[in-house]
Amino acid sequence: MEIQIKKETSATVITITGRFDAVTTPQYEKTMNELITGGDIAFVVDFDGLDYISSAGLRGLLFTAKQLKGKGGQIRFANVKGTVKEVFDISGFGSIFQMDDSVSASLAKVS
Amino acid sequence: MIKIEHLSKTYDDLTVLKDITIDIKKGEVISIIGPSGTGKSTFLRCLNLLDRPSGGSIHVDGVNILDAKADVPRIRQKMNMVFQSFNLFSHLSVLENLTIAPIKLRGMSRQDAELKSLELLKLVGLAEKTDSYPDELSGGQKQRVAIARCLAMKPEIILFDEPTSALDPTMISEVLSVIRRLTKEGITMVIVTHEMDFARDVSSRVLYMDEGLIYEEGTPQQIFENPQKEKTRAFINRIRSFNYRISSPDYDLYAMNAEIETFCEKQILPRKTRHNVLLLVEELLQIYSPYLNATLLDLTLAYSEKRESLELVVESMGEALNPLNKNLLPDELGLNIINSLTESIDYQRLDNRNRLTLHMRKS
Ligand SMILES: Nc1ncnc2c1ncn2[C@@H]1O[C@H](COP(=O)(O)OP(=O)(O)OP(=O)(O)O)[C@@H](O)[C@H]1O
Ligand SMILES: [Mg+2]
Repeated sequence: MEIQIKKETSATVITITGRFDAVTTPQYEKTMNELITGGDIAFVVDFDGLDYISSAGLRGLLFTAKQLKGKGGQIRFANVKGTVKEVFDISGFGSIFQMDDSVSASLAKVS
Repeated sequence: MIKIEHLSKTYDDLTVLKDITIDIKKGEVISIIGPSGTGKSTFLRCLNLLDRPSGGSIHVDGVNILDAKADVPRIRQKMNMVFQSFNLFSHLSVLENLTIAPIKLRGMSRQDAELKSLELLKLVGLAEKTDSYPDELSGGQKQRVAIARCLAMKPEIILFDEPTSALDPTMISEVLSVIRRLTKEGITMVIVTHEMDFARDVSSRVLYMDEGLIYEEGTPQQIFENPQKEKTRAFINRIRSFNYRISSPDYDLYAMNAEIETFCEKQILPRKTRHNVLLLVEELLQIYSPYLNATLLDLTLAYSEKRESLELVVESMGEALNPLNKNLLPDELGLNIINSLTESIDYQRLDNRNRLTLHMRKS
Protein backbone atom coordinates (compact mmCIF):
# COMPACT_ATOMS: atom_id res chain seq x y z
CA MET A 1 0.00 0.00 0.00
CA GLU A 2 1.13 3.49 -0.76
CA ILE A 3 -0.20 6.38 1.31
CA GLN A 4 -0.18 10.02 0.25
CA ILE A 5 -1.15 12.86 2.52
CA LYS A 6 -2.43 16.21 1.30
CA LYS A 7 -3.71 18.94 3.59
CA GLU A 8 -6.70 20.80 2.16
CA THR A 9 -8.39 23.68 3.96
CA SER A 10 -11.34 21.70 5.30
CA ALA A 11 -9.65 18.30 5.79
CA THR A 12 -6.60 16.12 5.27
CA VAL A 13 -6.91 13.94 2.17
CA ILE A 14 -5.38 10.47 2.52
CA THR A 15 -4.89 8.68 -0.80
CA ILE A 16 -4.34 4.93 -0.45
CA THR A 17 -3.31 2.73 -3.37
CA GLY A 18 -2.62 -0.99 -3.75
CA ARG A 19 -3.52 -3.52 -1.10
CA PHE A 20 -5.11 -2.92 2.28
CA ASP A 21 -4.44 -6.24 4.02
CA ALA A 22 -3.00 -7.81 7.15
CA VAL A 23 0.49 -6.73 6.08
CA THR A 24 -0.26 -3.09 5.25
CA THR A 25 -2.93 -2.19 7.82
CA PRO A 26 -0.36 -1.28 10.53
CA GLN A 27 1.09 1.24 8.07
CA TYR A 28 -2.31 2.94 7.70
CA GLU A 29 -2.96 2.90 11.43
CA LYS A 30 0.47 4.38 12.18
CA THR A 31 0.13 7.19 9.63
CA MET A 32 -3.33 8.11 10.87
CA ASN A 33 -2.27 7.95 14.49
CA GLU A 34 0.56 10.39 13.83
CA LEU A 35 -1.75 12.84 12.06
CA ILE A 36 -4.41 12.62 14.76
CA THR A 37 -1.82 13.06 17.50
CA GLY A 38 -0.55 16.08 15.55
CA GLY A 39 -3.97 17.67 15.80
CA ASP A 40 -5.76 16.73 12.53
CA ILE A 41 -9.36 15.79 13.14
CA ALA A 42 -11.03 15.93 9.69
CA PHE A 43 -10.12 13.34 7.04
CA VAL A 44 -11.14 12.26 3.56
CA VAL A 45 -9.78 8.87 2.48
CA ASP A 46 -9.56 8.40 -1.27
CA PHE A 47 -10.00 4.69 -2.25
CA ASP A 48 -9.71 5.27 -5.99
CA GLY A 49 -6.41 3.41 -6.37
CA LEU A 50 -7.18 0.60 -3.92
CA ASP A 51 -7.47 -2.89 -5.49
CA TYR A 52 -7.91 -5.02 -2.44
CA ILE A 53 -9.19 -4.88 1.11
CA SER A 54 -9.56 -7.64 3.67
CA SER A 55 -11.14 -7.71 7.11
CA ALA A 56 -7.77 -6.63 8.52
CA GLY A 57 -8.10 -3.43 6.49
CA LEU A 58 -11.66 -2.93 7.66
CA ARG A 59 -10.55 -3.28 11.27
CA GLY A 60 -7.87 -0.66 10.63
CA LEU A 61 -10.48 1.75 9.26
CA LEU A 62 -12.72 1.08 12.22
CA PHE A 63 -9.92 1.53 14.73
CA THR A 64 -8.95 4.92 13.34
CA ALA A 65 -12.57 6.06 13.09
CA LYS A 66 -13.12 5.26 16.77
CA GLN A 67 -9.95 7.09 17.71
CA LEU A 68 -11.22 10.15 15.83
CA LYS A 69 -14.67 9.96 17.32
CA GLY A 70 -13.12 10.22 20.79
CA LYS A 71 -11.64 13.55 19.71
CA GLY A 72 -14.81 14.86 18.07
CA GLY A 73 -13.27 14.43 14.61
CA GLN A 74 -14.73 13.06 11.40
CA ILE A 75 -13.75 10.86 8.45
CA ARG A 76 -15.37 10.40 5.00
CA PHE A 77 -14.52 7.87 2.29
CA ALA A 78 -14.44 8.69 -1.42
CA ASN A 79 -14.41 6.40 -4.48
CA VAL A 80 -15.13 3.11 -2.72
CA LYS A 81 -15.89 0.81 -5.65
CA GLY A 82 -15.48 -2.60 -7.27
CA THR A 83 -14.28 -5.51 -5.16
CA VAL A 84 -13.44 -3.13 -2.32
CA LYS A 85 -17.05 -1.94 -2.25
CA GLU A 86 -18.24 -5.56 -2.24
CA VAL A 87 -16.19 -6.29 0.87
CA PHE A 88 -17.61 -3.14 2.51
CA ASP A 89 -21.13 -4.28 1.69
CA ILE A 90 -20.64 -7.87 2.92
CA SER A 91 -19.42 -6.48 6.22
CA GLY A 92 -22.14 -3.87 6.62
CA PHE A 93 -19.52 -1.10 6.45
CA GLY A 94 -21.42 0.66 3.70
CA SER A 95 -23.80 1.93 6.37
CA ILE A 96 -21.29 2.57 9.15
CA PHE A 97 -19.13 4.98 7.17
CA GLN A 98 -19.99 8.08 5.23
CA MET A 99 -19.16 7.59 1.61
CA ASP A 100 -19.10 9.87 -1.42
CA ASP A 101 -18.52 9.50 -5.14
CA SER A 102 -15.52 11.82 -5.28
CA VAL A 103 -12.94 13.53 -3.11
CA SER A 104 -14.43 16.94 -3.88
CA ALA A 105 -17.88 15.73 -2.78
CA SER A 106 -16.35 14.47 0.46
CA LEU A 107 -14.48 17.71 1.05
CA ALA A 108 -17.65 19.68 0.47
CA LYS A 109 -19.44 17.66 3.13
CA VAL A 110 -16.80 17.91 5.81
CA SER A 111 -18.12 20.52 8.14
CA MET B 1 -10.09 -64.54 -24.78
CA ILE B 2 -7.04 -62.66 -23.44
CA LYS B 3 -5.77 -63.62 -20.01
CA ILE B 4 -3.07 -61.41 -18.56
CA GLU B 5 -1.50 -62.31 -15.23
CA HIS B 6 1.02 -60.37 -13.16
CA LEU B 7 2.41 -58.67 -16.22
CA SER B 8 5.37 -56.40 -15.50
CA LYS B 9 7.80 -54.37 -17.56
CA THR B 10 10.98 -52.67 -16.45
CA TYR B 11 13.33 -50.59 -18.60
CA ASP B 12 16.77 -50.55 -16.93
CA ASP B 13 15.82 -49.21 -13.51
CA LEU B 14 12.42 -47.77 -14.49
CA THR B 15 9.46 -49.97 -13.61
CA VAL B 16 6.68 -48.99 -15.99
CA LEU B 17 4.24 -51.84 -15.46
CA LYS B 18 4.20 -53.25 -11.93
CA ASP B 19 1.60 -55.94 -11.85
CA ILE B 20 -1.21 -56.09 -14.38
CA THR B 21 -3.79 -58.84 -14.15
CA ILE B 22 -6.91 -58.79 -16.28
CA ASP B 23 -9.17 -61.01 -18.34
CA ILE B 24 -10.58 -59.62 -21.56
CA LYS B 25 -13.58 -61.45 -22.95
CA LYS B 26 -14.52 -61.92 -26.57
CA GLY B 27 -16.43 -58.94 -27.95
CA GLU B 28 -15.47 -56.57 -25.16
CA VAL B 29 -14.55 -53.00 -25.98
CA ILE B 30 -12.06 -51.83 -23.41
CA SER B 31 -10.85 -48.27 -23.10
CA ILE B 32 -7.65 -47.51 -21.28
CA ILE B 33 -7.30 -44.02 -19.90
CA GLY B 34 -4.76 -42.42 -17.61
CA PRO B 35 -2.09 -39.76 -17.31
CA SER B 36 0.85 -39.58 -19.69
CA GLY B 37 3.73 -41.92 -18.93
CA THR B 38 1.77 -44.46 -16.92
CA GLY B 39 2.55 -47.31 -19.31
CA LYS B 40 -0.56 -47.50 -21.51
CA SER B 41 1.44 -47.76 -24.74
CA THR B 42 3.91 -50.10 -23.08
CA PHE B 43 1.02 -52.34 -22.08
CA LEU B 44 -0.30 -52.52 -25.66
CA ARG B 45 3.18 -53.08 -27.04
CA CYS B 46 3.64 -56.00 -24.66
CA LEU B 47 0.36 -57.50 -25.88
CA ASN B 48 1.44 -57.08 -29.48
CA LEU B 49 4.91 -58.50 -28.73
CA LEU B 50 6.61 -55.30 -29.80
CA ASP B 51 8.05 -55.17 -26.28
CA ARG B 52 9.15 -58.13 -24.20
CA PRO B 53 7.49 -58.12 -20.76
CA SER B 54 9.83 -58.53 -17.78
CA GLY B 55 7.46 -60.86 -15.97
CA GLY B 56 4.01 -62.41 -15.93
CA SER B 57 2.05 -64.19 -18.60
CA ILE B 58 -0.27 -63.46 -21.52
CA HIS B 59 -2.55 -66.13 -22.95
CA VAL B 60 -4.71 -65.59 -26.02
CA ASP B 61 -7.34 -68.28 -26.42
CA GLY B 62 -5.22 -70.51 -24.21
CA VAL B 63 -2.02 -69.98 -26.20
CA ASN B 64 0.94 -68.64 -24.23
CA ILE B 65 2.11 -65.88 -26.56
CA LEU B 66 5.28 -65.24 -24.56
CA ASP B 67 6.49 -68.76 -25.29
CA ALA B 68 9.76 -68.74 -27.24
CA LYS B 69 8.10 -71.00 -29.81
CA ALA B 70 5.06 -68.75 -30.26
CA ASP B 71 4.10 -67.97 -33.85
CA VAL B 72 4.53 -64.19 -33.73
CA PRO B 73 3.15 -63.32 -37.21
CA ARG B 74 0.09 -65.48 -36.51
CA ILE B 75 -0.43 -63.76 -33.14
CA ARG B 76 -0.10 -60.30 -34.73
CA GLN B 77 -2.59 -61.27 -37.41
CA LYS B 78 -5.09 -62.34 -34.78
CA MET B 79 -4.36 -59.35 -32.53
CA ASN B 80 -3.53 -56.43 -34.79
CA MET B 81 -2.58 -52.92 -33.75
CA VAL B 82 -3.36 -49.40 -34.97
CA PHE B 83 -0.80 -46.77 -34.04
CA GLN B 84 -1.03 -43.09 -33.21
CA SER B 85 1.32 -42.25 -36.08
CA PHE B 86 -0.44 -44.43 -38.72
CA ASN B 87 2.77 -46.28 -39.75
CA LEU B 88 1.68 -46.62 -43.39
CA PHE B 89 4.19 -47.68 -46.05
CA SER B 90 4.83 -44.39 -47.81
CA HIS B 91 6.21 -45.96 -51.01
CA LEU B 92 3.05 -48.03 -51.53
CA SER B 93 -0.34 -46.87 -52.76
CA VAL B 94 -3.34 -47.01 -50.46
CA LEU B 95 -4.50 -50.24 -52.07
CA GLU B 96 -1.04 -51.82 -51.86
CA ASN B 97 -0.82 -50.85 -48.19
CA LEU B 98 -3.90 -52.98 -47.63
CA THR B 99 -3.05 -55.94 -49.86
CA ILE B 100 0.61 -56.50 -49.04
CA ALA B 101 0.16 -58.35 -45.76
CA PRO B 102 -2.79 -60.57 -46.81
CA ILE B 103 -0.84 -61.61 -49.91
CA LYS B 104 2.49 -62.17 -48.20
CA LEU B 105 1.39 -63.44 -44.82
CA ARG B 106 -1.96 -65.04 -45.44
CA GLY B 107 -1.22 -66.35 -48.94
CA MET B 108 -4.24 -64.65 -50.51
CA SER B 109 -4.35 -64.19 -54.28
CA ARG B 110 -3.79 -60.62 -55.45
CA GLN B 111 -7.29 -60.50 -56.92
CA ASP B 112 -9.00 -61.65 -53.71
CA ALA B 113 -6.87 -59.30 -51.65
CA GLU B 114 -7.75 -56.34 -53.87
CA LEU B 115 -11.46 -57.12 -53.79
CA LYS B 116 -11.44 -57.45 -50.03
CA SER B 117 -9.37 -54.26 -49.69
CA LEU B 118 -11.76 -52.26 -51.81
CA GLU B 119 -14.60 -53.38 -49.61
CA LEU B 120 -12.69 -52.25 -46.52
CA LEU B 121 -11.81 -48.91 -48.08
CA LYS B 122 -15.52 -48.40 -48.73
CA LEU B 123 -16.22 -49.21 -45.09
CA VAL B 124 -13.87 -46.40 -43.98
CA GLY B 125 -15.17 -44.04 -46.69
CA LEU B 126 -12.04 -43.97 -48.87
CA ALA B 127 -12.98 -46.02 -51.93
CA GLU B 128 -11.89 -43.24 -54.27
CA LYS B 129 -8.38 -43.06 -52.77
CA THR B 130 -7.13 -46.51 -53.76
CA ASP B 131 -4.37 -45.19 -56.02
CA SER B 132 -3.29 -42.31 -53.84
CA TYR B 133 -0.08 -42.40 -51.82
CA PRO B 134 -0.05 -41.77 -48.06
CA ASP B 135 1.59 -38.36 -48.53
CA GLU B 136 -1.42 -37.22 -50.53
CA LEU B 137 -3.84 -37.91 -47.68
CA SER B 138 -4.90 -35.89 -44.67
CA GLY B 139 -4.12 -37.23 -41.19
CA GLY B 140 -7.67 -38.43 -40.71
CA GLN B 141 -7.60 -40.24 -44.06
CA LYS B 142 -4.25 -41.85 -43.26
CA GLN B 143 -5.60 -43.18 -40.01
CA ARG B 144 -8.68 -44.56 -41.74
CA VAL B 145 -6.41 -46.33 -44.24
CA ALA B 146 -4.40 -47.70 -41.30
CA ILE B 147 -7.61 -49.03 -39.75
CA ALA B 148 -8.67 -50.63 -43.06
CA ARG B 149 -5.20 -52.17 -43.37
CA CYS B 150 -5.53 -53.58 -39.89
CA LEU B 151 -8.95 -55.06 -40.79
CA ALA B 152 -7.50 -56.63 -43.96
CA MET B 153 -5.72 -59.10 -41.70
CA LYS B 154 -9.09 -60.24 -40.35
CA PRO B 155 -8.03 -59.72 -36.74
CA GLU B 156 -10.14 -60.98 -33.88
CA ILE B 157 -8.70 -58.37 -31.57
CA ILE B 158 -7.66 -54.82 -32.43
CA LEU B 159 -5.39 -52.76 -30.22
CA PHE B 160 -5.61 -48.99 -30.75
CA ASP B 161 -2.94 -46.75 -29.28
CA GLU B 162 -4.31 -43.21 -29.20
CA PRO B 163 -5.59 -43.43 -32.78
CA THR B 164 -6.63 -39.77 -32.87
CA SER B 165 -3.88 -38.05 -30.88
CA ALA B 166 -1.85 -37.08 -33.92
CA LEU B 167 -4.85 -35.58 -35.71
CA ASP B 168 -6.15 -32.05 -36.07
CA PRO B 169 -9.37 -31.57 -34.09
CA THR B 170 -11.38 -31.38 -37.32
CA MET B 171 -10.33 -34.93 -38.29
CA ILE B 172 -10.84 -36.66 -35.00
CA SER B 173 -14.52 -37.34 -35.46
CA GLU B 174 -14.18 -39.07 -38.86
CA VAL B 175 -11.75 -41.57 -37.33
CA LEU B 176 -13.75 -42.03 -34.15
CA SER B 177 -16.89 -42.72 -36.14
CA VAL B 178 -15.10 -45.48 -38.09
CA ILE B 179 -13.94 -47.06 -34.81
CA ARG B 180 -17.41 -46.61 -33.36
CA ARG B 181 -18.85 -48.59 -36.29
CA LEU B 182 -16.35 -51.39 -35.70
CA THR B 183 -17.38 -51.73 -32.08
CA LYS B 184 -20.76 -52.89 -33.33
CA GLU B 185 -19.20 -55.71 -35.37
CA GLY B 186 -18.28 -57.72 -32.31
CA ILE B 187 -14.52 -57.36 -32.72
CA THR B 188 -12.72 -57.35 -29.40
CA MET B 189 -10.99 -54.02 -28.93
CA VAL B 190 -8.58 -52.42 -26.54
CA ILE B 191 -8.39 -48.67 -27.09
CA VAL B 192 -5.96 -46.31 -25.39
CA THR B 193 -7.50 -42.88 -25.72
CA HIS B 194 -7.67 -39.39 -24.32
CA GLU B 195 -11.12 -38.87 -25.90
CA MET B 196 -13.23 -39.22 -22.79
CA ASP B 197 -16.66 -38.80 -24.38
CA PHE B 198 -15.80 -41.43 -26.95
CA ALA B 199 -14.52 -43.86 -24.30
CA ARG B 200 -17.69 -43.34 -22.30
CA ASP B 201 -19.89 -44.05 -25.33
CA VAL B 202 -18.27 -47.10 -26.85
CA SER B 203 -16.68 -49.03 -24.00
CA SER B 204 -18.03 -52.00 -22.15
CA ARG B 205 -15.28 -51.49 -19.60
CA VAL B 206 -12.89 -48.68 -18.77
CA LEU B 207 -9.48 -49.20 -17.20
CA TYR B 208 -7.83 -46.30 -15.47
CA MET B 209 -4.06 -46.86 -15.46
CA ASP B 210 -1.78 -45.17 -12.99
CA GLU B 211 1.33 -46.10 -11.00
CA GLY B 212 1.99 -49.02 -13.37
CA LEU B 213 -1.24 -50.69 -12.35
CA ILE B 214 -4.83 -50.95 -13.43
CA TYR B 215 -5.57 -48.51 -10.67
CA GLU B 216 -9.34 -48.66 -11.05
CA GLU B 217 -11.68 -50.36 -13.49
CA GLY B 218 -15.39 -50.37 -14.06
CA THR B 219 -18.20 -49.64 -16.44
CA PRO B 220 -18.05 -46.24 -18.14
CA GLN B 221 -20.77 -45.20 -15.70
CA GLN B 222 -18.70 -46.19 -12.67
CA ILE B 223 -15.46 -44.65 -13.88
CA PHE B 224 -16.82 -41.43 -15.33
CA GLU B 225 -19.72 -40.69 -12.99
CA ASN B 226 -18.55 -42.11 -9.73
CA PRO B 227 -14.85 -42.99 -9.56
CA GLN B 228 -13.96 -44.43 -6.17
CA LYS B 229 -10.26 -43.69 -5.88
CA GLU B 230 -8.70 -40.29 -5.46
CA LYS B 231 -6.34 -40.33 -8.45
CA THR B 232 -9.08 -41.55 -10.77
CA ARG B 233 -11.32 -38.78 -9.56
CA ALA B 234 -8.60 -36.17 -10.03
CA PHE B 235 -7.96 -37.42 -13.56
CA ILE B 236 -11.62 -37.61 -14.57
CA ASN B 237 -12.45 -34.19 -13.20
CA ARG B 238 -9.18 -32.78 -14.49
CA ILE B 239 -8.26 -31.55 -11.06
CA ARG B 240 -5.06 -29.66 -10.58
CA SER B 241 -3.92 -28.60 -7.20
CA PHE B 242 -1.53 -26.39 -5.37
CA ASN B 243 -0.15 -26.95 -1.87
CA TYR B 244 1.29 -24.51 0.57
CA ARG B 245 2.51 -25.12 4.09
CA ILE B 246 2.45 -22.46 6.78
CA SER B 247 4.85 -23.31 9.57
CA SER B 248 5.09 -20.11 11.59
CA PRO B 249 2.90 -17.20 12.70
CA ASP B 250 5.32 -14.97 10.79
CA TYR B 251 4.43 -16.49 7.44
CA ASP B 252 5.11 -14.42 4.36
CA LEU B 253 1.66 -13.53 3.01
CA TYR B 254 3.05 -12.00 -0.17
CA ALA B 255 5.31 -14.95 -1.03
CA MET B 256 2.28 -17.21 -0.67
CA ASN B 257 0.07 -14.83 -2.67
CA ALA B 258 2.60 -14.83 -5.50
CA GLU B 259 2.48 -18.62 -5.66
CA ILE B 260 -1.31 -18.69 -5.58
CA GLU B 261 -1.39 -16.10 -8.38
CA THR B 262 0.96 -18.20 -10.49
CA PHE B 263 -1.19 -21.29 -9.96
CA CYS B 264 -4.38 -19.38 -10.83
CA GLU B 265 -2.78 -17.92 -13.94
CA LYS B 266 -1.76 -21.39 -15.10
CA GLN B 267 -5.38 -22.49 -14.79
CA ILE B 268 -6.40 -19.34 -16.67
CA LEU B 269 -8.76 -18.30 -13.89
CA PRO B 270 -10.37 -14.88 -14.29
CA ARG B 271 -8.99 -11.93 -12.36
CA LYS B 272 -12.04 -11.78 -10.11
CA THR B 273 -11.64 -15.42 -9.13
CA ARG B 274 -7.96 -14.82 -8.35
CA HIS B 275 -8.91 -11.90 -6.17
CA ASN B 276 -11.47 -14.00 -4.32
CA VAL B 277 -9.01 -16.84 -3.73
CA LEU B 278 -6.46 -14.44 -2.21
CA LEU B 279 -9.13 -12.86 -0.04
CA LEU B 280 -10.45 -16.22 1.15
CA VAL B 281 -6.96 -17.44 2.03
CA GLU B 282 -6.05 -14.23 3.86
CA GLU B 283 -9.26 -14.32 5.90
CA LEU B 284 -8.70 -17.95 6.84
CA LEU B 285 -5.10 -17.35 7.86
CA GLN B 286 -6.19 -14.41 9.96
CA ILE B 287 -8.62 -16.67 11.80
CA TYR B 288 -6.00 -19.40 12.21
CA SER B 289 -3.29 -16.99 13.38
CA PRO B 290 -3.78 -17.54 17.13
CA TYR B 291 -3.03 -21.25 16.59
CA LEU B 292 -0.05 -20.98 14.28
CA ASN B 293 2.49 -21.23 17.11
CA ALA B 294 1.24 -24.70 17.90
CA THR B 295 0.41 -26.21 14.53
CA LEU B 296 1.48 -26.41 10.95
CA LEU B 297 -1.17 -25.45 8.44
CA ASP B 298 -1.45 -27.24 5.11
CA LEU B 299 -3.41 -25.45 2.42
CA THR B 300 -4.51 -27.21 -0.75
CA LEU B 301 -6.18 -25.32 -3.53
CA ALA B 302 -7.73 -27.66 -6.09
CA TYR B 303 -9.24 -26.60 -9.36
CA SER B 304 -11.47 -28.94 -11.36
CA GLU B 305 -11.32 -27.88 -14.98
CA LYS B 306 -14.28 -30.09 -15.80
CA ARG B 307 -16.55 -28.63 -13.15
CA GLU B 308 -14.87 -25.25 -13.21
CA SER B 309 -14.88 -25.37 -9.45
CA LEU B 310 -12.35 -24.42 -6.81
CA GLU B 311 -11.94 -26.10 -3.47
CA LEU B 312 -9.73 -24.99 -0.63
CA VAL B 313 -8.72 -27.50 2.04
CA VAL B 314 -7.02 -26.37 5.25
CA GLU B 315 -5.54 -29.02 7.50
CA SER B 316 -4.17 -28.45 10.98
CA MET B 317 -2.80 -30.69 13.69
CA GLY B 318 -3.44 -30.71 17.42
CA GLU B 319 -6.68 -31.00 19.31
CA ALA B 320 -10.08 -30.87 17.68
CA LEU B 321 -10.67 -27.36 16.46
CA ASN B 322 -12.97 -25.73 14.00
CA PRO B 323 -11.69 -22.15 14.15
CA LEU B 324 -14.73 -20.86 12.28
CA ASN B 325 -16.83 -21.47 15.37
CA LYS B 326 -18.35 -18.04 16.10
CA ASN B 327 -17.73 -18.34 19.84
CA LEU B 328 -13.98 -18.45 19.23
CA LEU B 329 -13.86 -15.32 17.11
CA PRO B 330 -13.35 -11.75 18.36
CA ASP B 331 -15.66 -10.45 15.62
CA GLU B 332 -17.46 -11.80 12.58
CA LEU B 333 -15.91 -9.58 9.94
CA GLY B 334 -13.68 -12.30 8.51
CA LEU B 335 -16.31 -15.01 8.84
CA ASN B 336 -18.84 -12.92 6.91
CA ILE B 337 -16.36 -12.48 4.08
CA ILE B 338 -15.56 -16.20 4.08
CA ASN B 339 -19.25 -17.11 4.00
CA SER B 340 -19.89 -14.76 1.12
CA LEU B 341 -17.05 -16.27 -0.92
CA THR B 342 -18.03 -19.90 -0.39
CA GLU B 343 -20.88 -22.20 -1.30
CA SER B 344 -20.23 -24.69 1.45
CA ILE B 345 -17.87 -25.20 4.35
CA ASP B 346 -17.29 -28.58 5.89
CA TYR B 347 -15.32 -29.40 9.04
CA GLN B 348 -14.01 -32.89 9.67
CA ARG B 349 -11.84 -34.47 12.32
CA LEU B 350 -9.66 -37.17 10.74
CA ASP B 351 -6.84 -39.12 12.47
CA ASN B 352 -5.81 -36.31 14.78
CA ARG B 353 -6.07 -33.74 12.05
CA ASN B 354 -8.63 -31.01 11.53
CA ARG B 355 -9.76 -30.59 7.99
CA LEU B 356 -11.75 -27.64 6.77
CA THR B 357 -13.03 -27.92 3.21
CA LEU B 358 -14.39 -24.83 1.50
CA HIS B 359 -16.06 -24.83 -1.89
CA MET B 360 -15.79 -21.46 -3.52
CA ARG B 361 -18.76 -19.75 -5.01
CA LYS B 362 -18.47 -19.10 -8.75
CA SER B 363 -17.62 -15.51 -9.41
N1 LIG C 1 11.92 -48.15 -24.95
C1 LIG C 1 11.91 -47.50 -23.79
N2 LIG C 1 13.04 -47.39 -23.06
C2 LIG C 1 13.03 -46.73 -21.88
N3 LIG C 1 11.93 -46.17 -21.32
C3 LIG C 1 10.80 -46.26 -22.00
C4 LIG C 1 10.70 -46.92 -23.27
N4 LIG C 1 9.42 -46.85 -23.71
C5 LIG C 1 8.74 -46.18 -22.76
N5 LIG C 1 9.55 -45.83 -21.75
C6 LIG C 1 9.15 -45.11 -20.53
O1 LIG C 1 8.08 -45.81 -19.94
C7 LIG C 1 7.13 -44.91 -19.38
C8 LIG C 1 5.73 -45.24 -19.91
O2 LIG C 1 5.68 -44.93 -21.29
P1 LIG C 1 4.37 -45.18 -22.14
O3 LIG C 1 4.69 -44.71 -23.51
O4 LIG C 1 3.94 -46.60 -21.97
O5 LIG C 1 3.34 -44.22 -21.43
P2 LIG C 1 1.85 -43.85 -21.89
O6 LIG C 1 0.97 -44.17 -20.73
O7 LIG C 1 1.54 -44.49 -23.18
O8 LIG C 1 1.93 -42.28 -22.05
P3 LIG C 1 1.20 -41.31 -23.12
O9 LIG C 1 -0.18 -41.05 -22.60
O10 LIG C 1 2.04 -40.07 -23.06
O11 LIG C 1 1.25 -42.00 -24.45
C9 LIG C 1 7.61 -43.52 -19.72
O12 LIG C 1 8.25 -42.99 -18.58
C10 LIG C 1 8.58 -43.74 -20.84
O13 LIG C 1 9.58 -42.76 -20.84
MG1 LIG D 1 1.21 -43.75 -25.14
